[in-house]
Amino acid sequence: MSQLVPLPIVLPLLGAALSVVFGRWHGFQRLVGVVCLSTSLVISIVLLVAADDTGFVVAQGGGWPAPIGISLVVDRLSAIMLVVSAIMLLAVLVYAIGQGEVERVHAGFHPTYLVLAAGVAASLLTGDLFNLFVSFEMMLAASYVLITMGGRAAQVRSGMTYVVISLVASTFFIIVLALIYSATGTINLADLSERIPELSGEVQLMFAIALLVVFGIKAGLFPLFFWLPDSYPTAPAPVTAIFAGLLTKVGVYAIIRTQTLMFPIDARPATLILVVAALTMTVGVFGAIAQDDVKRILSFHIVSQIGYMIFALGLFTVAGVAAAVFYTFNNIILKTNLLLVAGLVERRGGSSRLSEVGGMVRTAPLLGLLFALPALSLAGLPPFGGFVAKFAVFDAGAWSEQWVLVGVAAFVSLLTMYSMTKIWAGAFWGEREEEPSGRPEPGGRLGGPVLMVGSTAAVVLVGLAVMIWAAPLYAFTERAAVDLLDPSRYVEAVLGERP
Amino acid sequence: MSLLIAFVASMLVGCGTWLLLQRRLSRIIIGVGLLGHGANLLLLVSGGRRGTAPLIGVGDAADFADPLPQALALTAIVITFGVTTFLLALGFRAWQISNDDVVEDDVEDRYIARRAQIDREVADEIEAERAQAAEEDRR
Amino acid sequence: MFVLLALHLLIGVGIVASGDRLGRRAFAVAALAPLATVVWAITQADAVLDGRPVVVEVTWVEQLGLGLDLRLDAFGLAMVALVSGIGFLVCVYAVGYFSHPKQGTARLAGLMTLFAGAMLGVVMADHLLALFVAWELTSVTSYLLIGNDDRSPRARAAALQAILITGTGGLVMLVGIIAVGHTAGTYRISELLADPPSGGVISGGLVCILIGAFTKSAQAPFGSWLPGAMVAPTPISAYLHSATMVKAGVYLVARLSPIFATTGNWRLLVLVVGATTMIIGGLRALRQYDLKLLLAYGTVSQLGFLMLLFGTGQYQIAQAGVALLLAHGAFKAALFMVVGMVDHEVGTRDIRELHGFGSAWSPTLVVGVLGAASMAGLPPLFGFIAKEKALDGYVEHGDFIGSGAIVIVIVIGSILTFAYSARFVLGLFGVFGTDDADPRSRAAHAPSVLFLAPAAVLTVSTVAAGLAPVLVDRLVRASTLALQPGVTPSPVELWAGFNTALVLSLIVISTGLVLTAYRVPLGRLQRRASDAISWIPSAEQGFLACLRGMTDGSKRVTALVQNGSLPIYLAVIVTVAAVAPLIPAVSVFPSLPKLIDAPIQIPLGILVVVAALGAAVVRRRIAAALMLGAVGYGMAGLFIVQGAPDLALTQLVIETLATVLFVLVLRFLPTKWADRSPAIARPIRIGVSTLAGVSVFVMALVSSAARDDVAAPNISEEMIARSAPDAKGNNVVNVILVDFRGLDTLGEITVLLVAAVGAVALARTGRRRLIPGRREQGHARPDQGAGS
Repeated sequence: MSQLVPLPIVLPLLGAALSVVFGRWHGFQRLVGVVCLSTSLVISIVLLVAADDTGFVVAQGGGWPAPIGISLVVDRLSAIMLVVSAIMLLAVLVYAIGQGEVERVHAGFHPTYLVLAAGVAASLLTGDLFNLFVSFEMMLAASYVLITMGGRAAQVRSGMTYVVISLVASTFFIIVLALIYSATGTINLADLSERIPELSGEVQLMFAIALLVVFGIKAGLFPLFFWLPDSYPTAPAPVTAIFAGLLTKVGVYAIIRTQTLMFPIDARPATLILVVAALTMTVGVFGAIAQDDVKRILSFHIVSQIGYMIFALGLFTVAGVAAAVFYTFNNIILKTNLLLVAGLVERRGGSSRLSEVGGMVRTAPLLGLLFALPALSLAGLPPFGGFVAKFAVFDAGAWSEQWVLVGVAAFVSLLTMYSMTKIWAGAFWGEREEEPSGRPEPGGRLGGPVLMVGSTAAVVLVGLAVMIWAAPLYAFTERAAVDLLDPSRYVEAVLGERP
Repeated sequence: MSLLIAFVASMLVGCGTWLLLQRRLSRIIIGVGLLGHGANLLLLVSGGRRGTAPLIGVGDAADFADPLPQALALTAIVITFGVTTFLLALGFRAWQISNDDVVEDDVEDRYIARRAQIDREVADEIEAERAQAAEEDRR
Repeated sequence: MFVLLALHLLIGVGIVASGDRLGRRAFAVAALAPLATVVWAITQADAVLDGRPVVVEVTWVEQLGLGLDLRLDAFGLAMVALVSGIGFLVCVYAVGYFSHPKQGTARLAGLMTLFAGAMLGVVMADHLLALFVAWELTSVTSYLLIGNDDRSPRARAAALQAILITGTGGLVMLVGIIAVGHTAGTYRISELLADPPSGGVISGGLVCILIGAFTKSAQAPFGSWLPGAMVAPTPISAYLHSATMVKAGVYLVARLSPIFATTGNWRLLVLVVGATTMIIGGLRALRQYDLKLLLAYGTVSQLGFLMLLFGTGQYQIAQAGVALLLAHGAFKAALFMVVGMVDHEVGTRDIRELHGFGSAWSPTLVVGVLGAASMAGLPPLFGFIAKEKALDGYVEHGDFIGSGAIVIVIVIGSILTFAYSARFVLGLFGVFGTDDADPRSRAAHAPSVLFLAPAAVLTVSTVAAGLAPVLVDRLVRASTLALQPGVTPSPVELWAGFNTALVLSLIVISTGLVLTAYRVPLGRLQRRASDAISWIPSAEQGFLACLRGMTDGSKRVTALVQNGSLPIYLAVIVTVAAVAPLIPAVSVFPSLPKLIDAPIQIPLGILVVVAALGAAVVRRRIAAALMLGAVGYGMAGLFIVQGAPDLALTQLVIETLATVLFVLVLRFLPTKWADRSPAIARPIRIGVSTLAGVSVFVMALVSSAARDDVAAPNISEEMIARSAPDAKGNNVVNVILVDFRGLDTLGEITVLLVAAVGAVALARTGRRRLIPGRREQGHARPDQGAGS
């Protein structure tokens, strides 16, 4: 089984290489992309089953035992993230092929996209802090290229913000890495899990906070998120969708992983995390309310919902971490989904500004349905998956008697619903108030090209599947949480039996 | 780690940050470069001791400088270089578009900030509706 | 039971999906779902009324306590009669109402079916969370139904108001449910009833739950959404906003009162809110000219009344509540239907534009008059019986503090109810008609038989239940038992003897008659009074203020934090990154280590620092780039001193490449720049930079000193040891790069390639515009590059 572990990284990279070499044959590029990502998906599912069976599947890079080589570790958390991200990557690729714009015009799209996929997989799988940095860089480098693909003025402007801030964050990461290595002499996560508790409490806390800041920039925590809503919406629609769905959540993944694995319970900055969570939730949703553009509204919601995940994580109980994991993967699906719909709305209406579109419930009812289901779920309305996720967070908060935070989360949830109704009333109800800035494209009966609508619908179905199989999924995340809160299992799986 | 190295690294980070906070992309890129140097320096010395080059057979293994941070720093340098190159290309593109390399403020954010006071809102809509109803009532 | 819910879902989605193809026939299809429910309920009725509820236990997410348990007991059956019985009649009525279907009419039918399913879920749920699920679904479907005429800003605003208020209530309620469920250890209503919990958290949770119930049932001060919701077509208003959805709050209070009436402030809260609502609703109804709004405010008033009956936890009073619930459902739906017929045939609902009807309208008028009479509480109608029971219950069994005051409230409320019922009837007959309006109503076509039939059926049931209360006796008694097991409810009778309640009823009727006779001066008085207190903000204004405060507030916050400026973002990020980890680090600041490792470090260090400072201050781009290069070369020197020749070599190569690239790009740009930043920027920049430098300095020393705490050697020791024998390489750094940590190198190469691809793509995007002398054109056509 462990031979399979590197494949979700290696396959897309191979595909990327093929894609570059045969850049002139567009159909071939498409084929390579779809085949690679589908295979990755299948492998991820196999790994998920295996990980749930045994707890961990570990591969040692190059066959060198940890900590000499780089360990790749599949546990329940990384497995579920891997599967969900593989589904989203595949769906968005199909969507991009259906849209044809950026995907057709730029020969570089396919290889870059595959590198992004490899970077995401590597970030989820790696059990090594420096390799996590490299994986992040793979993912980010691909994202820089994708976000500026097309080179329009707005893209270049926001691309600069995005690249500069990411680069600064990466530099911080290296600094923190250097400090950690100089204090402990290791960068293997399992090894760190054993060595960090030997440090004094203050130094542990210093590292925990430093890592929280580093990943907080990528995850979009308050007050580090400002770059996010400025840059994501300018990218081409499929790119925005995959960024919104995946990138920040990989940051959240890194926070969950490092905080639970590396630091003992009393060294985790739990109170700080809870305060930051509350601020992230509220400031993010305030931002969403103030916007007038579908993509920007949704981008601010990314931030707001990161707050929920961090809130649940900050409880550091089984219920809390389970809720965080559940919320995270569910949110990947919802966010990707909504931004895919936003792309369809933009195409159909010629603009993503609410004042420039309208009445789509009449002109494109199917889009209305495709928007309504994930939007209700995002607002946490029952019985959708988002409700289960939100309820799990509230429930975990109640167990820990964090009633203030539960109250804040409920308030934010109300505002989320408000801004969803704003999109609904603006894009799907009423008439457009101003002429759209772009050219509306007729969408036919479906509201858009078959591949675009089809892939969006597929993601909607995945979201509904979460609702239907909420019980086994939640049970799974609970098992994941138990593992996460007891790092000794991870350590044993990576380093082997210790005397 | 010697005091001098710590000082040099902190100076690099300080100067880098100063440049980062400017509006010109060219200065920002130079700032990122300085920051990167600071980070790499810290990474390199994180092994804990100065030593001879870690070449087996050339010296005593006990005197070797820690090879791992060297390898890491090398990787980091190359990666930073790659990304910086891309950033340069972006700056070049920005110059093509605007004939300048100033990082402008986000238009949409400014738009929101400006209209914060004058926005016509749903609340007004409901209120106007009610006022009209009340007017009819009085009639 | 799940089959029924699924049937609603299926039919509802099917109708919505069919678009406008079905037209008004969609309502005929929609009628199937409630019809099936009614038939099923009748088959179950006997067992249920005998106290053997139908129970289905379903878990959803067991670990979270999320269950979907359903339980149909007698009270549930009474609610099903309302939901599905009236639902069926409304569907039939709608076929007549929408004789000229517009775009979106069929969607109404689909959404209504979905709503009916959700509402069934509310009344069948035995699990508080299942109830919440259904509860929120009714809010959502109500939103979509109110706003269905989406081009009308009025409909959209009303829909928004409705979902915001009920949504707020729903969320507060969810928190309350979680609080109660967590403390009690169960979310099952039947289990709570068997073993009532108590405590501080419970009291707090109950207040939250009550807020949810109040918003849903349009109680003061959350009632402002209901009149607005009347923009929806009349069948929708009749169904959702009179007969069913607004009863959900009342239903919940009825269910929980026997458990919690004496816990915390439950009873006090319910009675105060219910009493206020009953009076305010009645007063408002008296001022309306729009028949539909008159009924809407009447509904608000009656909902307050129901709260008073259900909130006490006394079964004798709750029994009256059950009777009133049924009576109200029957007469109010019929009255709404009458208004809808008037609106449909005449084109107005304003009583100032009605001037009486032709003789063909007599059956319709009879329906209207009987309905209003039942509403006013006149014998021998069902409404009378319910009100008698209520008064009797309070007078004979109200043994808690304040019950006397509530009797007075009920009497006053009933007088108002009589008065607005009379106003309704008089309005219908054209008494308020103004002379100058054109008498359209006289010429109007009478509604067809099918159109009238549903209202007639309801009226017949009102009359029948009044004349022969035995028809509903079993249902009312069994319902009371279901709410509070083990009690002995009294029979429902038309003539309960000459008692206090009857006297009170007589007072109500006579005072009501006086009010009606002197309605003109009283109306003037009321207007003057309301003008006099107009400075008190209404609930409506409160809601608007909240909404505006929320949108304004979020805009201010956003304008403040999200200012779009990269330097500000970076300043914030750097400050956080520098300060946050510094706080714990400062307290363990170690004693200073030795100054240098080797003397050669001093000149190299000075070179690096001077060059860095130079890069920071020079005002020529090229010079700054060269300074950066100098820093890089100095770094290479430091690397060599540290024992890293490979790294130094790489550094030299990369630095040279980077400097060349820099110079290549920078030569396009102006050689100098002007600083346009505001004066405040400079000290901030200096402050943040200093902070960053200090932070790195402190943390570096702290970490380095902390190495002594960890016993284990650096992992590189093992790498050195295994490099030559196992990896067959003598240069350990190389072995690490290509073998031990090959994955890193793979990633590194990938990054490099991707960055190159991206850089080339960007450079090529604008290639066409590189012709000398045409550079300025780029600004005018920024989007041109998108397609190249």
